[in-house]
Amino acid sequence: MSARRAGRLAALALAAAAWIALALLLWRSSRVPSSLRLAPVRLHDFFTPHQLARARAFERFGRIDWLLSELALLGALAVYARRGPRFARESAAGRIGTGLLLGMLGLGIVWLVQLPFDLAGLWWDRRHGIAHSSYWEWIFGNWLGLGGSFLFVCLALVIVMGLARVLGARWWLVGGPAFVALAALFTFVSPYLMTGVHPLRDPALLADARRFAREQGLPPVRIVVQDVHAETSAPNAEAVGLGPTRRVILWDTLLDGRFGPREVRVVVAHELGHLSRDHLVEGLAWFALFAVPGAWVIARATRRRGGMAEPAAVPLGLFVLVVLQLLALPLQAAISRHIEAEADWVALQTTRDPTAATGLFRRFTTVALAQPDPPGWSYLLLADHPTIEQRIGMAEAWRRLHGGSTK
Amino acid sequence: MNAMDEHPVRVTVTDDLERNRWTVFFRLLLAIPHFVWLALWGVAAFVAAFVNWLVTLVDGRSPEPLFDFLAAYVRYATHVYAYVLFAANPYPGFKGEPGYPVDVELGRPQPQNRWKTGFRIVLALPALALTDALVGGAPSSWSAQGRSGGGSFSYTTSGAGVAFTVACLAWFAILARGRMPQGFRDLVAYCLRFAAQTWAYVFILTDRYPEADPALPRAVEPAPANPVRLALEDDPRRSRLTVFFRLLLALPHLVWLALWGIAAIFALIGIWVGTVVKGRPPAGLHRFLSSFLRYAIHVYAFLCLVGGPFPAFGGRPGTYPVEIELPPPGPQGRWGAFFRLVLAVPALAVNGALGIALLVSAVLSWFASLVTGREPLGLQRLGAFALRYEAQTSAYLYLLTARYPYSGPWTQAADEQLMLGE
Repeated sequence: MSARRAGRLAALALAAAAWIALALLLWRSSRVPSSLRLAPVRLHDFFTPHQLARARAFERFGRIDWLLSELALLGALAVYARRGPRFARESAAGRIGTGLLLGMLGLGIVWLVQLPFDLAGLWWDRRHGIAHSSYWEWIFGNWLGLGGSFLFVCLALVIVMGLARVLGARWWLVGGPAFVALAALFTFVSPYLMTGVHPLRDPALLADARRFAREQGLPPVRIVVQDVHAETSAPNAEAVGLGPTRRVILWDTLLDGRFGPREVRVVVAHELGHLSRDHLVEGLAWFALFAVPGAWVIARATRRRGGMAEPAAVPLGLFVLVVLQLLALPLQAAISRHIEAEADWVALQTTRDPTAATGLFRRFTTVALAQPDPPGWSYLLLADHPTIEQRIGMAEAWRRLHGGSTK
Repeated sequence: MNAMDEHPVRVTVTDDLERNRWTVFFRLLLAIPHFVWLALWGVAAFVAAFVNWLVTLVDGRSPEPLFDFLAAYVRYATHVYAYVLFAANPYPGFKGEPGYPVDVELGRPQPQNRWKTGFRIVLALPALALTDALVGGAPSSWSAQGRSGGGSFSYTTSGAGVAFTVACLAWFAILARGRMPQGFRDLVAYCLRFAAQTWAYVFILTDRYPEADPALPRAVEPAPANPVRLALEDDPRRSRLTVFFRLLLALPHLVWLALWGIAAIFALIGIWVGTVVKGRPPAGLHRFLSSFLRYAIHVYAFLCLVGGPFPAFGGRPGTYPVEIELPPPGPQGRWGAFFRLVLAVPALAVNGALGIALLVSAVLSWFASLVTGREPLGLQRLGAFALRYEAQTSAYLYLLTARYPYSGPWTQAADEQLMLGE
């Protein structure tokens, strides 16, 4: 082994060790008490056999649909990685412009390949009353979002190809952090990009939200409602923004009477928990941990095509990116579950209402058909929240530790 | 031989551009008897066309009496429209006889493909849509309304097509000068030719599809030279994938064009002030706006499928197969520069109407290219013509040239304004 090669391996090992250390540090920054043991949950105490069977059947289809969609996507992108460079003759735009064309065509192929599976998913959701959009509205209503994706791909490629022209194979050293900065910027401005939002008008819930924020050490946080009932009946909420743009968004499907006021309070406390525990910043840090080595892998993988400065490398780069995302899926899902578990814990600590929490989680199964106990592989790859079984188990564990309401 | 020469429906133009101001002033009123007669004949023509459709479906050929009746109607309609739209001066006869200055030659009945005959009305829809954009008004207008799901939608076309827009402007021009501008006359004649071919196709007089290529009718007189020229050297073959996503692929260009456009507004103010003061556009601003205009034409050509390749972002000359040639800065009249925006209004009106035709042509091209993998030559040249006029209008408005846009489609005499690389 040459000294140069040994040096490289040592640097690689050092970088891997630093990555692991940082990842552990991040992992430990959000957690539920280590002494907590989730209570064993007998699902039949919470759900009827019919409810369980319905949720299992509903999610089974989604999993198969996802699996087939990913296989088709990988196949299509593998072919595109091989044959895509020939589309360069459709361009009169120079190297970066041609790279943009190839990147956008790749995205178009992704959209085309996934369209039948997405439509199948929509059909299934409509059949179960989860989605209300017509197929026509769904296809054409998403054109704006698709256009935004095309523009984002262009921006990303301008950065990558521009840096690769200047820095050569070391573009990833600046490119990775540049994408983290972009992600931070997007997180900051994302609350302003949302459509169909209006302030929450429920004074009691607003008062509770102010109290919860205070108890979690937060300044007053804007709570807004997003109108989605025309498209879906699925309940959801999210915490968005950074610093002054932070806010909690509740889908109006949470407030249509299917969920009790105490259950909605748990949701608000959970989302505030994301903000009080700086989960969005933490998410950015995790993104940085994946983006920089991911950019390095893409830079290495595209060397034979002349590196990312060459348009011919773009289809291959896209394929490698999708493969990396798939490989990182179990880790990303685990990180997401870890963060969500902490938010659940914060919500329990804030509301001190495990009964409402259990009721809320139950309703995710009875209303939104979330399977309480998904199969192991699905849990590892796709579950970005703890399972319903685990969430009820946490609520019951909290009750065992603290007592709490049985209202 | 030009493909157009082979088309069985030809429009000949022997008009001398001279107009009588009085008959022009009262043209619409004078045409009322023709409108009434055209409507009555039209009812009979539609019945005859249906019979013709059935007979041709069985026999594979249009019977001569029906052919002559319908051909006379198409000829008469063209005469009336040419008269109303100022493409010709004499009051037309009521029988649709040959010999009018804007006339239609239809030949004799030819064998027709039965499949094409059976599905004629469906096949004719794209041509009818383009006729609507080119001519506008009855009989090619249509409108529809519908309701879908919770929301309603409605869409309406017709009204001011290219020919009607040009006619409105021509009315003023003729009253002022006593002559029909040649570009206007040729443009109207082109629109009427396409309409005549469409109606001959709809009435089963021929199974040859209408030809959108504006190469004919040829101008009787030489067209004025214009320093803003457009060269089309594009391969009409298209990648279906880039066609399918054309609008999305153009997005980064549209964003860049919008950003560049903001700077162009300030440059436009600067060049206007500079030209009014010095009598000559400042060279730097002229160069900047020339690049901007060239880039805009590249983007529009890509978006509307006139050009195949993805354009570059710089607007440099010689980088795109749909290319415009712009003049260097030269002396310009100060008054002409001062009132440029007002003077450009008629050209902008024609440009708007041609823009709608370009849009319709782009939509039709999109479907055709997706199916065949080729851009139809006629639609591509129609698009190139619309882009040439857009370039000439913008160059005039941006004070890149003092030459007024020439609205005639390219003709034998005006070839130098639109160079075709074949």
